[in-house]
Amino acid sequence: MPDQDAGSLSFKLVYYGPAQSGKTTNLLRLHDILSPELKGEVMTMETKDDRTLFFDLLPLGFRAPSGLLIKLRLFTVPGQVAHDGTRKAVLSRADGIVFVADSDRCQETNNGEAFQSMADNCHRVGLDFEHIPLVVQFNKRDLPGAVPEAEIRERWEAAPWPLHFAVALTGEGVEATFESLLRALYRRHDAELGLAREHGVGEQAFVAGMLGRP
Amino acid sequence: MSSADFDREWRLGELFDARMLERIAPPLAELLGADLAILDRDGAALWGRPAAEARREALVLEIEPAGYLASSSADPARLRSAGRMFTALLRAEARYRMASALHLEAVTQDFETLKLEHSRLLASEARYRKLSEELEARVEAQVADLEARQLQLYQAEKLASVGQLAAGTAHEINNPLGFVSSNLGSFKHYLDTFAALHGRLAEGEAAWQSLDLDFVLADGAELLADCSAGLARIARIVADLKSFSNEGRPPTEAADLNACLQHAVSVIGTPPPGIRLHTALAPLPPLACNPGHLNQVFASLIRNALQAIQDAGRPGTVRIESEASAAGIHIRIADDGVGMSPAQLARAFEPFYTTRSIGTGTGLGLSTARNIVLAHHGSIELASTPGAGTTATLFFPTAP
Repeated sequence: MPDQDAGSLSFKLVYYGPAQSGKTTNLLRLHDILSPELKGEVMTMETKDDRTLFFDLLPLGFRAPSGLLIKLRLFTVPGQVAHDGTRKAVLSRADGIVFVADSDRCQETNNGEAFQSMADNCHRVGLDFEHIPLVVQFNKRDLPGAVPEAEIRERWEAAPWPLHFAVALTGEGVEATFESLLRALYRRHDAELGLAREHGVGEQAFVAGMLGRP
Repeated sequence: MSSADFDREWRLGELFDARMLERIAPPLAELLGADLAILDRDGAALWGRPAAEARREALVLEIEPAGYLASSSADPARLRSAGRMFTALLRAEARYRMASALHLEAVTQDFETLKLEHSRLLASEARYRKLSEELEARVEAQVADLEARQLQLYQAEKLASVGQLAAGTAHEINNPLGFVSSNLGSFKHYLDTFAALHGRLAEGEAAWQSLDLDFVLADGAELLADCSAGLARIARIVADLKSFSNEGRPPTEAADLNACLQHAVSVIGTPPPGIRLHTALAPLPPLACNPGHLNQVFASLIRNALQAIQDAGRPGTVRIESEASAAGIHIRIADDGVGMSPAQLARAFEPFYTTRSIGTGTGLGLSTARNIVLAHHGSIELASTPGAGTTATLFFPTAP
């Protein structure tokens, strides 16, 4: 459930994935690309050799016609296997997830294990994995050893989650992934929070507000 | 979201408490060269007293003001700079607090996971303990059941051997009974001949000669001697039977196993034609045992040996040997009969395992024999070569 007080509403979104799949890069590019009404700095916690130890945080927000401040807080988890406790804690209370997979063929096992750990951790921290808004991004499409898109699509055919392909380093596909998650998030919470009904924010306005598009 | 969550929105007042503000605010006011107050996000003063018309500089932690610097006399550009500096301090503190709160949360989660694992382990241990108790109870019940059945088997085997014994004994007794009865018939005839002498006394010596009474007298004595030998044989068989069945004896007594072997041999009677019984019995110390039961063991083994030779369809010898060592008494009963295959040998001691046709063997002989030997703390082993014969080796410890 999103965090709510009188004047504001705050969603927590988490970028999850195997080590060095490009979660932090997604966040940095979003910070460059997006221009919502309110945009904070990327808060990068301790890193070691360019690898996230705790989390990164990017805050975004815009004000609804009703005056309600709608905030998003984008987190990344540390990808390394050793930091599972931290990963679980960051994942706690998430309202939506982007799973960032590495397209490199030799990373297929790591992707699978990370996805399974995400599902397990969701159950452990009390998230409803079956219903939480989730999109899957295959990053690093520019790698020569990347698994072909057709093969990935075929493999994920039966899965209910939207698939995206990205090169986070150049920003390609980063915004589309994020937009996809925004739409899933909106559809999940519109009715119970009265976003359209009480605050005059339709799906299009929600997406436009967060992306900073007219 | 609880107050311990690392990802809550931190308030200025909790990041910088009054003591910390007391260290930061005065030098900041000095740098500004103006009045200064620090307000939380709702405008309430955390440090200093804001003038009503004070200018406010927002302190943005993420995207919203977490609080304000307020001053009525400060230069606006300087106030903005002070705000930037204060925000930098605030963000550094927030980063530190978030990281430590996250660390604590992760550790707590791990600890909770461990506790959960631990309670699961305890639960499964309890489950296994219960299961093992149930299993123990079931094993005990089954052991009791098995013991009861074994006792029944033992009784059944006893009855079966009594039956065999009875058949053998009947034959043994019938034989002397037959000739005693026939002898007595002849003797009656001889008495009639003597009665006839009474009528011919006048003829004198001629009558004696004519009635051939010299022969009648001699033969009559011989008949009576035969009869009493026959009766003695019957008496011996009955005595053997009595000692064999242990009737009228205490269950445990000091006995000579050679005597038991001899009893067993005599109870079995004359071996079938072509089979020789060879006994080589060395003097043995007495053994505290149940002689009746051991008689049964030896008879059973000797009977098996005889049967094995009969099955081979050729003449053979059953060797019965005994000797004493420092450790105890060794007895060997060996035949040169058909022998057993390894498969038969492996199952020889199983109850109801028999190679004989239905009705001729109970399959209990060796199984019962082993039970009896084990009850005497002894051991019994079988060695066998198909076609060459079988040797049963028994050992009874005499050392205390």
